[in-house]
Amino acid sequence: MLIFTLRRLTLFFFTLVILSVFAFSLCYLFPGEPIVNLTGRINDNAAQLAALKLQYHFNENVFFQYISYLKHIFSGNFGLAMNNQLPIGPLISKLLPATIELSLVALLIALFIGIPVGFIAAIFHRKPIDNTILILSMIGYSIPVFWLGLIAILIFSIYLGWLPSSGGIGLIYEIKSVTGIQFIDILMSDNPFKWQAFRSATMHIILPATVIAIAPATIFIRLARTAMLEVLDTNYIKSAQAKGLTFFEIIYQHAIRNALMKMILHVGLQFVNLMTFAMITEVIFSWPGIGRWLINSIYQRDYTAIQSGLLVLSTFIFIVHILTDFFYAALNPIARGKRFGSR
Amino acid sequence: MNLLDIRNLSIELKTTDGNIRAVDRVSLTMKEGEVRGLVGESGSGKSLLAQAIIGVLDERWIVHADRFHWRNQDLMLLTPEQRKNIITKDVAMIFQEPSSCLDPIKTVGKQLEEAVADQQLSGFFWQRKQQRKTEVVQLLHKVGIKNHEQCYHSYPYQLTEAFCQRVMIAIALAKKPILLIADEPTAAMESKNQGQIFRLLASLNQLKHMSILLISHDLENVTHWTQTITVMYSGQFVEAGTTEQIFAHPFHPYTQALLDSSPNANILISAKAKLTALSGSIPLLKHLPIGCRLGPRCPRAQKECVIAPKTQNFHGHQVNCHYSLKDEH
Amino acid sequence: MQEESVLARDKIYTEEQFPSPLMQLWWHFRHTNVAMIGFWCYLFLLSLAILAPLLTEIGQNSSNLDVLLLPPAWDSAGDVSYLLGTDDLGRSMLSRLINGTSLTFGLSIIVVIISMAIGVMIGSLSALTKGIKSSILNHFLDVILSIPSLLLAIIIVAVLGPNLKNTLWAIVIVLIPQFIRVTRNAIKEEFRKDYVLASRLDGASPLRILRYSVFPNIFERIINQATLAQSAAILDIAALGFLGLGAQFPLPEWGTMLSNGVDLFYIAPWTVYLPGLAIFFAVISTNLVGEGLRHALKQRKES
Repeated sequence: MLIFTLRRLTLFFFTLVILSVFAFSLCYLFPGEPIVNLTGRINDNAAQLAALKLQYHFNENVFFQYISYLKHIFSGNFGLAMNNQLPIGPLISKLLPATIELSLVALLIALFIGIPVGFIAAIFHRKPIDNTILILSMIGYSIPVFWLGLIAILIFSIYLGWLPSSGGIGLIYEIKSVTGIQFIDILMSDNPFKWQAFRSATMHIILPATVIAIAPATIFIRLARTAMLEVLDTNYIKSAQAKGLTFFEIIYQHAIRNALMKMILHVGLQFVNLMTFAMITEVIFSWPGIGRWLINSIYQRDYTAIQSGLLVLSTFIFIVHILTDFFYAALNPIARGKRFGSR
Repeated sequence: MNLLDIRNLSIELKTTDGNIRAVDRVSLTMKEGEVRGLVGESGSGKSLLAQAIIGVLDERWIVHADRFHWRNQDLMLLTPEQRKNIITKDVAMIFQEPSSCLDPIKTVGKQLEEAVADQQLSGFFWQRKQQRKTEVVQLLHKVGIKNHEQCYHSYPYQLTEAFCQRVMIAIALAKKPILLIADEPTAAMESKNQGQIFRLLASLNQLKHMSILLISHDLENVTHWTQTITVMYSGQFVEAGTTEQIFAHPFHPYTQALLDSSPNANILISAKAKLTALSGSIPLLKHLPIGCRLGPRCPRAQKECVIAPKTQNFHGHQVNCHYSLKDEH
Repeated sequence: MQEESVLARDKIYTEEQFPSPLMQLWWHFRHTNVAMIGFWCYLFLLSLAILAPLLTEIGQNSSNLDVLLLPPAWDSAGDVSYLLGTDDLGRSMLSRLINGTSLTFGLSIIVVIISMAIGVMIGSLSALTKGIKSSILNHFLDVILSIPSLLLAIIIVAVLGPNLKNTLWAIVIVLIPQFIRVTRNAIKEEFRKDYVLASRLDGASPLRILRYSVFPNIFERIINQATLAQSAAILDIAALGFLGLGAQFPLPEWGTMLSNGVDLFYIAPWTVYLPGLAIFFAVISTNLVGEGLRHALKQRKES
């Protein structure tokens, strides 16, 4: 287990190095002055720029520039956003948790819908309900998420008026942002209208989270179905039947745990896919997350914002990936042996 | 009394081109305390037959028989679920490749505990856990596993095949069965371990008076450890009788060929002589011959063989052949 | 005598034809109804994409200012000559959608073909290497594959600048690692098999083994990946168009049309749901073809 951890950590370290090199090189790849791209100060005059250059070691060779860039990143200085000259660091620390919150809720919805439906499809294999589930899941998989969001707003916000269509919470509530995750902040604050705020936040998150959850849910349905079909075909299920266990005992005691074990690695990998959908959905629902901000910055050619946003986002994605790998290996002792090697 | 009395059991497979008869009118009887061998090549339908008896075939397979009696109770009148309930109470089965028959994410001890039924435990429910554990330890000792603590807490992938097979036998014994069906129990093991498993089965038969249906393709093992033998070929019943009868005077050409092909069974072969074997191979399910399925390969086949032969019985030695070898012995 | 010979003839096995694996696959595919529906829809879209300039006499950019925001023909205010209505500049939705087919659908096919060619080439070369080089490539590939395709495409477009050409290159770059991985795994798996060993013992060079022994066998897996890649490509082109990073106004790419329609949502909902339906239709046909292929592969293996 120790060797596995060390190998994974080394891999992680090298990946981070590559990522940061790529992010750093962006300031040279974008048009314009590299130092301006790096810090975002588009309004500075020549003297201020010279002072900045000294600060970022731009007079020395590229390697030292990179080291100084890393130092600034670690101290939380991501520069200023070009279009409004606000510091990026604090901005990201508010935006990223909001996206994480949305993605987590969507993941939970997708899991709660996808896995049981997939299991049911496998248990009733070759019967009409299996085919229906497959058809529905194919439809769900093919709908573009942005279109689904718009249609959802059309139906649920405009025609039916049940759910709000934009924002993270009603505008009248002022919640102090501590962790950035709204539900936790609401529960921690001492606002007298705490529970109304909670209710408002829930209403605001249902529609975008469900829209995001549909496509991953269909993937989970398929994964769960395949895993359960494989498990139901194995020898140990047959011998459990020969042992005389009832159908439900077999499903509950043996089949579900084995099927879940088979699909857990894929579930973790879907989280990053889900985050991508979340980023698009944020644009439609005006959800205050990092996706909407990043896409706006790309459109407005705000190079500093793009650079910092990409670095933060990709680092986060890799952390999630490594954690999932780690978690899976800890749960399943057989998986530890064979993940490696140059074959 | 006959424990198991099966007459003309057929198993058909539903395919898009119609029903294929994988097992064609096989008859089988088992008495109490008897060790019977069921012999045939791979593809002869012996595993299918065993699975049909236990009732673990899925709905693609249709099973019907003229007679299917368990301890004089007619099972054909019941639904498959009821049949399965009655059978699994008294009949246990162990399979090939025992390590794949154990749930890989549960410890062996937990799986053994599962097999111990509630009715066998007396006492109040807070005592049951301990009683279960004691029962499991006893079972492990019965199959010859002395080191029960370590075995209890291990996972299946940490154990050898022979060990897993002992655990499977222990699980089978938990129900105190009257009949044990062993489907090629030693196919995946070395010969030393094979001997251990067979000795265990023989001792269970002697001490507990448990009947065993031993399914195998290895004629040598089967003739050593069994009292009666049934031979199958390609889903059809070929020959049945006591081991001595079959070994000394095989009536069916197929049985003769089986005996001839195993060098130990026939010690009269001269040095460097070719071993005899039937030409051809077992037919695929898609191209099953009509009538006697050995027809295309049998050296004694004639025009009559396109009609399925009827079973002839000579002092308990049954054979299914138009041109049996009876008169040549 | 006559009857006897008839009986005898019936009892001999008739010669069976043994079709090649490809023909078997096609037979199974043909007999899956849902897959054939998807296949015809796919062909329909393909023909639209190729014949688009011929089918639309009204140029996509010509706007008729008299008929702004006309609803589709089935609505009471609609007009049959503009079958699917018009958008806010008076352009016919029908002709824009048809022209968009060649953009969203047609370009997705081209993108997949290019990335398949490059990916398969790199993948087969890398499958032949061993040792440190192979392990570095493996890790590099793992790293790239862990980023979802759309995000990577957004990143590349962020670096290159938002327009249609950069979008296409971004998606090509994003799809290549998937083909590399599939090819590499498939080739490595085939190399372990005995028929490749037999060729090697015969003295065949690695390239010859690849060309004659291995490729015909991994072809189906690559095509399978191509269908998956195409449905992803359609969604990515449309998504980038929607986000304003792909095809720019006034190109009739379906995603861009969708984002144009968002402002007119309340008064002219058909400008939103029609392009979306088009994307949905294209993706479903591709997915049906892909699913049909996988289903046929499974059935062929089972029979």
